[in-house]
Amino acid sequence: MIVVNTETVPGFVIAGVKGLVQGNTVRAKHAGRDIAAGFKNLVGGELKGYTELLTESRRQAVERMMAQAQQLGANAVVNVRFTTSAVTAGAAELYAYGTAVVLAKPSA
Amino acid sequence: MEFIFGVAVVGLLLALGFFVGGWTESSHFRKLDEREANNGEFFITQVKTFPGASQSGPPPTILIGEAVIATDYLKSFLGSLRNIFGGEVKSYQSLLVRARREALQRIVEQAQAGGYNAICNVRFQTADVGGNTATAKKGAVMAAMLASATAYHRSA
Repeated sequence: MIVVNTETVPGFVIAGVKGLVQGNTVRAKHAGRDIAAGFKNLVGGELKGYTELLTESRRQAVERMMAQAQQLGANAVVNVRFTTSAVTAGAAELYAYGTAVVLAKPSA
Repeated sequence: MEFIFGVAVVGLLLALGFFVGGWTESSHFRKLDEREANNGEFFITQVKTFPGASQSGPPPTILIGEAVIATDYLKSFLGSLRNIFGGEVKSYQSLLVRARREALQRIVEQAQAGGYNAICNVRFQTADVGGNTATAKKGAVMAAMLASATAYHRSA
């Protein structure tokens, strides 16, 4: 499945639009990570635990979105956007949404 | 006695922020400079069309890069001082710059590993992983950046 954040895909034409597909997830890291992040705030540097948290939740949200697109019979998702929101301390919601479409090779 | 002890602890943390935090930041910037210099001909745009797209190569795909960078104690101390007097908070500016460059560089490295030589439609977004806005707690200052882009193959 082709997933892009642009409106078109070079070399393909959009043969059909299936509609909005979305996926979201709220994930939290265990308290140990939050404590480690607190210490990291003294000396600065990358918070690897939180980066991982973002990566995991983004993957899950995209997977859910792709599953929805597959169910609609689409073979691609275009114009994908992400938003995040904080639900509570240490937990992040990640929401991915896009338009499910059917891509086809242009008839020459 | 307790007051002196408190001042000593704060002084120690500020010194820790100055030395360790300063070293962490300058080494991060140095690494970013090196990695960006290694990009070579890699083509980065922010438009939605695919400039110079070629039909060969792998099909376009979305790539995402994340980076969460924390500030050090000294900088958050200076930042809270700035909050009293107002004005530009320079100590947090470099934090956001680092998070953006790191996130973008991670996309570029993923794209190169996947056999792409260009990305378009780069978008940056800040995230809130610590939940600072939800609980309005002070102290934990960090920049969480989510960058997304579409990787494609470009004919030179």
